[in-house]
Amino acid sequence: MKNFLMLLARNRLALGGLVVMGLVVLLALVTPLLPLADPDVTDTANRFKRPFSEGALLGTDHLGRDLLSRLLWGTRLSLAVGFAAAIIAATLGAAIGIIAGYYGGRTDNIIMRGVDMLMAFPYILLALAIVAALGPGLMNALIAVAAVNIPFFARNIRGITVGIAHKEFVDAARLSGMTDARIILTEVLPNVIPVIVIAMSTTIGWMILETAGLSFLGLGSQPPQADLGSMLGEARSALITNPHTSIVPGAMILIIVMAINLLGDGVRDALDPRLKSGALSRPMPATMVQRAGPVPTSEGDTLLALRGLKTQFHVEDRVYKAVGGVDLQVNPGECLGVIGESGSGKSVTALSIMGLVASPPGVITGGAVHYKGEDLIGAPYEKLRSLRGDRIAYIFQDPLATLHPLYTVGDQLIEAVRAHHLFDRKKARAHAIELLTSVRIPNAEQRVDSYPHEMSGGMRQRVGIAMALANDPEVIIADEPTTALDVTVQAQILSLLDDLRRERGLAIIFITHDFGVVAQLCDRVAVMYAGRIVEEGPTKTILDAPAHPYTARLMACVPELGQGRRELAAIPGLPPVVDRLPEGCAFADRCHKAGDTCRQGNIELVRHGAESLVRCVAPETPPQEAC
Amino acid sequence: MITALKLTELSKVFPVGKRMFGPPRALVRAVQPLSLTVEEGETLGIVGESGCGKSTLARMLVGLLPPSTGTIEINGEPLDNADPALFGRKIQYVFQDPISSLNPRKTIRQIMEAPLKHLHDMPAAARADRIREIFAAVNLREEFLDRYPHEFSGGQAQRIGIARALAAEARILVLDEPVSALDVSVQAQVLNLLADLKEQFGLTYLFISHDLAVVEAVSDRVAVLYFGSVVEVGPADEVFAYPKHPYTKLLANSAPVVGRPLTAPEGRETELPDPLNPPQGCAFRARCAYASDQCGSEAPRLEKWSDGVGVACHHPIAYAF
Amino acid sequence: MTGYILKRLVSAIPVLFGISIIVFVIMAMIPGDPATAILGSYATPDNVEKLNRDLGLDKPMVQRYFIWLGNMLQGDFGRSFSLNRAVLDEVLDRFGATLVLAGTAFVLCSLLGVAAGVVSAARQYGLADKAITFAVLLGISIPSFFLGMMMILIFAVKLRWFPVSGMWPIYGARDLSALISHLTLPALALAVVATGVIARLSRSAMLEVLRQDFIRTARAKGVHERSVVWRHALRAAMVSIIPVLGVQAGFVLSGAVYIEMVFQWPGVGRMLVDAILKRDILLVQGGVVFVAACYVMFNIAVDVAQSLLDPRIKT
Repeated sequence: MKNFLMLLARNRLALGGLVVMGLVVLLALVTPLLPLADPDVTDTANRFKRPFSEGALLGTDHLGRDLLSRLLWGTRLSLAVGFAAAIIAATLGAAIGIIAGYYGGRTDNIIMRGVDMLMAFPYILLALAIVAALGPGLMNALIAVAAVNIPFFARNIRGITVGIAHKEFVDAARLSGMTDARIILTEVLPNVIPVIVIAMSTTIGWMILETAGLSFLGLGSQPPQADLGSMLGEARSALITNPHTSIVPGAMILIIVMAINLLGDGVRDALDPRLKSGALSRPMPATMVQRAGPVPTSEGDTLLALRGLKTQFHVEDRVYKAVGGVDLQVNPGECLGVIGESGSGKSVTALSIMGLVASPPGVITGGAVHYKGEDLIGAPYEKLRSLRGDRIAYIFQDPLATLHPLYTVGDQLIEAVRAHHLFDRKKARAHAIELLTSVRIPNAEQRVDSYPHEMSGGMRQRVGIAMALANDPEVIIADEPTTALDVTVQAQILSLLDDLRRERGLAIIFITHDFGVVAQLCDRVAVMYAGRIVEEGPTKTILDAPAHPYTARLMACVPELGQGRRELAAIPGLPPVVDRLPEGCAFADRCHKAGDTCRQGNIELVRHGAESLVRCVAPETPPQEAC
Repeated sequence: MITALKLTELSKVFPVGKRMFGPPRALVRAVQPLSLTVEEGETLGIVGESGCGKSTLARMLVGLLPPSTGTIEINGEPLDNADPALFGRKIQYVFQDPISSLNPRKTIRQIMEAPLKHLHDMPAAARADRIREIFAAVNLREEFLDRYPHEFSGGQAQRIGIARALAAEARILVLDEPVSALDVSVQAQVLNLLADLKEQFGLTYLFISHDLAVVEAVSDRVAVLYFGSVVEVGPADEVFAYPKHPYTKLLANSAPVVGRPLTAPEGRETELPDPLNPPQGCAFRARCAYASDQCGSEAPRLEKWSDGVGVACHHPIAYAF
Repeated sequence: MTGYILKRLVSAIPVLFGISIIVFVIMAMIPGDPATAILGSYATPDNVEKLNRDLGLDKPMVQRYFIWLGNMLQGDFGRSFSLNRAVLDEVLDRFGATLVLAGTAFVLCSLLGVAAGVVSAARQYGLADKAITFAVLLGISIPSFFLGMMMILIFAVKLRWFPVSGMWPIYGARDLSALISHLTLPALALAVVATGVIARLSRSAMLEVLRQDFIRTARAKGVHERSVVWRHALRAAMVSIIPVLGVQAGFVLSGAVYIEMVFQWPGVGRMLVDAILKRDILLVQGGVVFVAACYVMFNIAVDVAQSLLDPRIKT
């Protein structure tokens, strides 16, 4: 709650809305106490007095009634009716929606058919029909507006409830012996309430407009009683001669509804957890670059080399150092594995290379990525774009989410080619079929016109690979390409990648968390922990004799098939959070041999044996053994 | 040996394309009629790939889904009432996704209290004592009790999930992919905790996973599921070392192993069978190198191979010892 | 495709049926009897009873419903006593005028709303985004009838760019240019609110889509940012924008009632309000059922458009 108010207060527009709304509500509350003229007493002698005339601050209307007094009493009425309608609609609608969404099945079906039926009316027809039946009057207008809005709430809340009712915690509550009624009240409702509040705060303004509208049509409040809508309705005939009688109530409605909408948006933003983390920000075409300090220069003619790469996430006032200075390189025909647990920074490293880290919140704060000696960090967008997918291509993890759901795989392949080459569509299509065949998709001529959802996971990932191969790239960066797949399918995909690399002399950077995969596919491997490389070297050397305690203990944790039932090794504790990295070695707190030297200064990645590097003051193996 | 859990011809059929009235458009057999027994104090591992029906089976076992046919017996008593509260005292469930199995708007204490209150009608003071006991058993600090789920890491949240299952005092736990959402270094912590708890409280486990190595490491016996049926069952150290069913063999050969060269265990591209349009005969035959005409006409049944080993195949692989 | 359209048309039958029941039940709730209202000061008990018999009001409700429904299916919506004219003729005349107004406004708000939403999302937090967000806020906060009145005051009375009200000039040719000059102000006033709502939803739909993985894939392929936004993102966002357009069409049709009152537009909305005030029940009943049925058909068109866009919808 406190958190919510703080977030709300930080939003200046919402705060403005709150202040205005507070003033209006206060005025409405104290109206009976103010020394105002009677709003309903007519005085035709003094009709249409201008604003700021004596005795009538805002003038008088066509019957000589004091506009200020009518305005305040009208506001009072409009607010009361609007809020009442919103509360009635929200309560009933939410109740219907929760019941339909929670029970599902036939209950849901029947209720939602009814709701659909009501929503098949343009809403005002329903409101007019209800008013026609009940007769004009403010109370009846309130009923009509509330009734018309119930289906909107019901449908909205039902959707949310269905999502929650299928969450595992609801199953857990059931297994804890709770009854349906109790689950609805204690498990579902608390999770739905924010949505109800959001829906209400964003529709109160609308309800006020609606009741005002019905009154404007003469179907709401009846003379002499006035709400803002009927004031406008009565003033309409004098619009041209005496516009002030229209402008006064109209402006009031505008002010109220605008304040409520601002406030409602603020409430929504403060309650919606997705907005809190800035997740609804639009990622820019390329990751932001704010490099401090000297930029490493290129050395040698390596195909792709990362030097001291640093990528951070800036979320509000926190800085997450996802990648804290990474050096990597690959040469043609080589496969480099980057292994680490979640949060180790391996994927962010991979995405930083081509500036694909979502930003905001991602920022590249240091280092360089040299492609054939040329630095890509901070390169102009057009330069990056021309290399993306052409020279350096990506394969991503979940092929269902990473392919566009509304285009055929053929169209997506054709687009990949045509982004870089002036192929006509026919030629590009032939090329697309060729690509599908090269990743061993059967019936490529037919499959080229399939949509991603019509394919199995393994097939989709083949399409992902075909897309990466589209322009015959030099480097492929594969970010956990088999993690979402079953083992039997994974085996097929891995052997395909391995064949392609040998046939085409591709350089592959393979991001994974699986030692088995690394062992089978990669020539060299880099182990990452808390945003840095802790060990790097030939795959065989590292898997046979890991030098860094983290590598050694992580490998011991992995159960391997064929060793039977046994106790597994574990690493105590958790990886550090990357916005509060300790000084010295990030692994020290979990390491059995950590000493004082491990917790001071910066521990460098140093040569260890002929081809390996390790970031440890007390490696597991002496250097000569590692050769 | 006492039989803790006995499943007889348990199956689940899901209607697809429901209509308001009248029969559904199609039926999907998620679990074919299936019989299994689990001895008290045993860990039975269940492996299978996505869509093999392992989660459906798990949800039936704990009463979250009513079975279409068949019975579940616990300690010799049939449980034919699909009331989760009744199930809850006898058999409990640990969820795959530890975070989403905890209500984000409740404190850990409120979550822990639910089974004690609703399954055992325990008074408040006794509840507090019991929670303290359980938390000590799963190595969680008591100060966690007044925090909310989002403050915990995956490993910690999974311990809380296990603690909740323990609070129900059921003797059988169904563990549905309990470590697949966790990193390896944390996975081992949770697996070892589970082993300790089993010893300490004399529990029986059904351990469901897609990870063969994990299943092998924790189970006494393993059942392999394919397309809703058990295709092979046997002692954990034998099933993958000497697979009898060609599918088990394919699984064992597909798992990436350090030191084994990379080869695709299946030459041609294979598609899984379509649940809406199940194949005649053996569901695996399209992918099977040993398939014969018999496999196309007649679905193999799970038959005894040797002591404690069963296999559902017309052409099981034999090994010379 | 034809199969899908047919399927949707068939599924509309129960909805239309339900609509007619709802309208009938609401109208049956009216206290007092229509005969008294129709006869006014001529309401002697004898007259009332006779008229009730003539109107079939002495029969049980279910029977009355089916008679009414049967008549409607034959195109007989009854007779309006206040206008002394067949309800259907009056509704058809008036609905044409409403269609011109609401149709124009709907096209305007769809195009402007989606374009504003996309630009706003693509330039998130930029100047264009802020300006659009503010305009949208103003648009959804102003009552359309008040906006209409202010437009009359400024553009018709003060500046004399457009006529004050009506659909056609009182004297002079009823040609297209006359229609456009009469249509501009009411169509704009009507479009403003819906434009705001559509722009808002398009913006958030675009922002939602722009963070999806397949957008990252498109960028990783080296697709131009322009194409990423207008081809990849907009197409995916349209999947959630199109249903909103369907709902907004209902809101435009609803808003037309106010605008017709303000601009003296001879549409079906004004007819309904007059009919309610005169308690001309048959006219209300007939008008509501007719317009609702048209709206149902429109929504089928929206569904068909959606299925053309999204291959995941089974046709």
